[in-house]
Amino acid sequence: MSEQIEQALDRKYEAGFYSQIESDTFETGLDESVIRRISEMKKEPQWMLDWRLKAYKTWLKMDEPDWAHVKYPKIDFQAISYYSAPKSMADKPQSLDEVDPELLRTYEKLGIPLHEQEMLAGVAVDIVFDSVSVITTFRAKLEESGVIFCSISEALHRFPDLVKKYLGSVVPRADNYFAALNSAVFTDGSFVYIPKGVRCPMELSTYFRINEMNTGQFERTLIIAEEGSHVSYLEGCTAPQRDENQLHAAVVELVALDDAVIKYSTVQNWYPGDENGKGGIFNFVTKRGICHTNAKISWTQVETGSAVTWKYPSCILKGDNSVGEFYSVALTRGYQQADTGTKMIHLGKNTRSTIIAKGISAGNSNNTYRGLVKMGPKADGARNFTECDSLLIGNKCGAHTFPYIESRNPSAIVEHEATTSKVSDEQLFLCRQRGLNPEKAVSMIVNGFCKEVFKELPMEFAVEAGKLLEISLEGSVG
Amino acid sequence: MSQWLTQVIDDAKRVDDFLAPMRQQALSKLQTQGWPHARSEEWRLTPLTSIKERTVEASSVAVNYIVPQIKGLNPIDLVFVDGVLVTNLNDIRLPTGLSVHALSDAPSAAQTKITALFGHVKPTRHVFGLVNDAICQQGIYIEVDENCSIDTPLRIVNLATKDCDAHTRALVNLGKNSQLKVIEHGSGSAASFTTAFAEYAIGQEARLEHYRFAFFTGAAKQVGGSHFSLQDKANLNSTLVAYGSELSRLDVDIIHAGEHANAKMNAIYLLAEGEFFDLHSTIEHAMPNGTTEENARGIIGDRARAVFSGRIHIHRDAQKTLAELNNRNLLLSRRAMINTKPELEIYADDVKCAHGATVAEIEEQALYYLLSRGIKRSKALVMLNFGFIQELVNDIDNENIRTWLSPMLSERFASMEVK
Amino acid sequence: MLKINNLHASVEDKVILTGLNLEVKPGEVHAIMGPNGAGKSTLGYVLSGRDGYEVQQGDVSFKGEDLFEMDIEERASNGLFLAFQYPVEIPGVSNMEFMKESVNATREQRGEERLSATEFLKKAKEACNQVQLPLDFLKRGVNEGFSGGEKKRNEIMQMILLQPSLCILDESDSGLDVDALQVVANGVNSQRDSTRSFIIITHYQRLLDYIKPDFVHILADGKIVKTGDASLALRIEKEGYAFLGKEYEGASA
Repeated sequence: MSEQIEQALDRKYEAGFYSQIESDTFETGLDESVIRRISEMKKEPQWMLDWRLKAYKTWLKMDEPDWAHVKYPKIDFQAISYYSAPKSMADKPQSLDEVDPELLRTYEKLGIPLHEQEMLAGVAVDIVFDSVSVITTFRAKLEESGVIFCSISEALHRFPDLVKKYLGSVVPRADNYFAALNSAVFTDGSFVYIPKGVRCPMELSTYFRINEMNTGQFERTLIIAEEGSHVSYLEGCTAPQRDENQLHAAVVELVALDDAVIKYSTVQNWYPGDENGKGGIFNFVTKRGICHTNAKISWTQVETGSAVTWKYPSCILKGDNSVGEFYSVALTRGYQQADTGTKMIHLGKNTRSTIIAKGISAGNSNNTYRGLVKMGPKADGARNFTECDSLLIGNKCGAHTFPYIESRNPSAIVEHEATTSKVSDEQLFLCRQRGLNPEKAVSMIVNGFCKEVFKELPMEFAVEAGKLLEISLEGSVG
Repeated sequence: MSQWLTQVIDDAKRVDDFLAPMRQQALSKLQTQGWPHARSEEWRLTPLTSIKERTVEASSVAVNYIVPQIKGLNPIDLVFVDGVLVTNLNDIRLPTGLSVHALSDAPSAAQTKITALFGHVKPTRHVFGLVNDAICQQGIYIEVDENCSIDTPLRIVNLATKDCDAHTRALVNLGKNSQLKVIEHGSGSAASFTTAFAEYAIGQEARLEHYRFAFFTGAAKQVGGSHFSLQDKANLNSTLVAYGSELSRLDVDIIHAGEHANAKMNAIYLLAEGEFFDLHSTIEHAMPNGTTEENARGIIGDRARAVFSGRIHIHRDAQKTLAELNNRNLLLSRRAMINTKPELEIYADDVKCAHGATVAEIEEQALYYLLSRGIKRSKALVMLNFGFIQELVNDIDNENIRTWLSPMLSERFASMEVK
Repeated sequence: MLKINNLHASVEDKVILTGLNLEVKPGEVHAIMGPNGAGKSTLGYVLSGRDGYEVQQGDVSFKGEDLFEMDIEERASNGLFLAFQYPVEIPGVSNMEFMKESVNATREQRGEERLSATEFLKKAKEACNQVQLPLDFLKRGVNEGFSGGEKKRNEIMQMILLQPSLCILDESDSGLDVDALQVVANGVNSQRDSTRSFIIITHYQRLLDYIKPDFVHILADGKIVKTGDASLALRIEKEGYAFLGKEYEGASA
């Protein structure tokens, strides 16, 4: 029956259209002058430019990492344009009425209406189109409670001290090859600041779209949750269908001060390439958060897109009693390759972490979980629980698990379990005997497999994630 | 490049015997790949500096040595002292169906079989395996005829008594439907460097009961491996017990080259003081319907450090494989450290695979029970956790080995104070 | 309802059914008994269309249509229900969402509206009570961690919800104590009417004390070798299968 399952997994990429929007795009290529131009366009302070240039110099000396279980052609960094923005953005629109209607239509097509009255109540959205943030909704309402939600370029002007203090504090400039590149050329991204004791009144969300050809997207997100504050943040992404690979190298930094809680959810649906593995996004992302005393960071991700994914949202559990969580569903099909997982670095006493990773591989794809759990010498009473489950569909794909565990503390407890399974013929038969068609049956079984992760998503996203899997499983069944 | 490796390569160039073509291959691989990179996944956690800077010390025949005894076992002993075979093979009586030859003195019929086995089970990625291929002249070839079941255990002993380089090799061929028990027994604490590799070809429906005791301690440095290839319906039951030393690294490869083969491997490591032990195991399921069960359990005390890497690789054709790997560890001190990495790499969909790794897992109910009987928490933890080592000891088939190991391990464990 | 004509079928190249004939009319209850390995379960699997069960010869019409022209799920939504002997677990998929999809697939086939969540919940609760399963079984994963008896009752609950026209019960009584057996039997009896038919595959006469069959067939060597009324089952209970002929003497009843 696996043939039927594979057919059921065939799907179309629904976000693959291109929008005709006039853009200002840099010619391709990367050198110091490009970085100076980016900085200049954004009217950045000198320290920011210096920071970028230092990152660039470090990057030049670094080697592209080759340890991940992925294969892709060497990236030509000179063939990428490092800046592209809709022309209409020359003067940043102050309200939705000033936004290019074609841009608004793009988002409507993607199912994200930007008019506040049409939106799901309770979600504020920042829109990043190619290299720039286009608009952030519900700002007034958020500012009433002191929450700052704006593009990072804007934050650099309005709250330079905050940016200077925290930018690079969790993911240092030279952290890794792609983070160093991002530090040098990042163009925009979201900035969130939740003041002390404030529970953010609505979900915050950023929606990333790559539209132009030959551009890379290098955004940077910084979320600061002051003592005792709470925030839930969502991230979504899509790109047009193209034969060329495009690079997305983002950095996300989360700072959860004492007793703060940050929940960060991602539904990643970058263009995965066609059925022969041509085209698609290279998604090389560094995401990391630091937890101070009693703080909690929870990462939830649903990864269905990208040709190649290289992504390890991590937590540094610095403060005593802090908590890190990682819930992940990664679905690969066609020729997709995903190497994703997390790092939980336990430094403080009684720190806790939970990792639940579900990988589904189909077609000719390869799906890898890679994780690190590290118990430092001072992490008395620390505890980790990890569960990695793989589901294989067909026998041309691969499912891999590479967990690294390091412990230096006798009172710390680490537990790791991994299993692999398939959609069994018996399960499929039972579902069909009860009248379900194979597509519905597979999607139901796969959804059941992912349930532990989906229940961690905020309501709006859980629905989207469910639908995404449904779409994934739609197709012709003979 | 390392000073030691350069010298070894020079020395190896002068070795000339019937294995020359294989030695040549190993040499050219060594020359191209060189000394392992500090970041190489295979070696990054193994402290190789002392070898890298080492000066090659040639071995010579030892005069005084004591071969450790296992009471009641009465094995056929093949003894290497400081890398030199000291057993006179003409003096030992072999049961029918079993033949043993020294590599240096193998008749031409045996040479053909040795050539077919040498370096064919052990993967070529192992730098010290290549060194051993290139330079090792002290070795033995063991063969069991088809349908022969050998009751007397064979023991291959490696003793380290002085500062020298020792390279030994064992090649073992189990004919179709044969049975054999082999013990690889390493011991000593002199500042030597030993590479001891063994390759086993287990024929159709043959059974191998295997033990490897790596009791090198103190300044004795060893890098070695036991490598198995299993034909259709072959059966392997292997138990590995190790202490640590300045440098102790073992690689185990189990290759399911035939269908319906079964492999079981248990590993125990007890590390005290500043000892280091590193176990890399790789299970290759290349054919369908195989089963593998691996349990590795260790206790790491004081300033000791353990590394475990356990890889299960299910190839595209290995449908209906059942493979399980479990690694459990207990740290006894704040300065002790464990790096563990169980890996699954799976390319077939109709398989059942699982792995697990834990560090300091407590069974809450059992702990509560002991505490309620007035036992101190730290002591209770130790009792519970030595229990999981004892479980693997109890799982050993051979009664003499069990009775020999059990008190020895608990004594060592008792000396590893909980801090 | 169902007409089986000269059915020959095999599994993994092993011939199991060798010319089976059976006609089931609306409202009838047929019991199929027989020694181990006679092909009783195979019959259920062939009728429901399980992969790997190859039909060599013969034809089956279901409600006047060629059964073998239909996919597994088409047969199901057309009213053919198989209660499994060993129902499989589907982790993470709740009984509730599973049955809702299943019921709605059947309703769509019949051209009826999908049930709303509230309507469905009401029906599900009733069915759950009827088979005496606690209501939290609706929330649990399909058969996940259920005991043998709970799995069997869960099958009957699904049968009650789906309202099929032909129910095939494959050893729904095996492994049940007397109380559970009664629950299963009551579930079945509550569904009996002049339009719905049952094929009850069983090893023991016991279940037939509670569900009175119209016909009892003995399946041996892949075909029906004897047909009678309820008294035939009692005779097997007493004498075993010996009266079928020498080769069945050892077969247990």
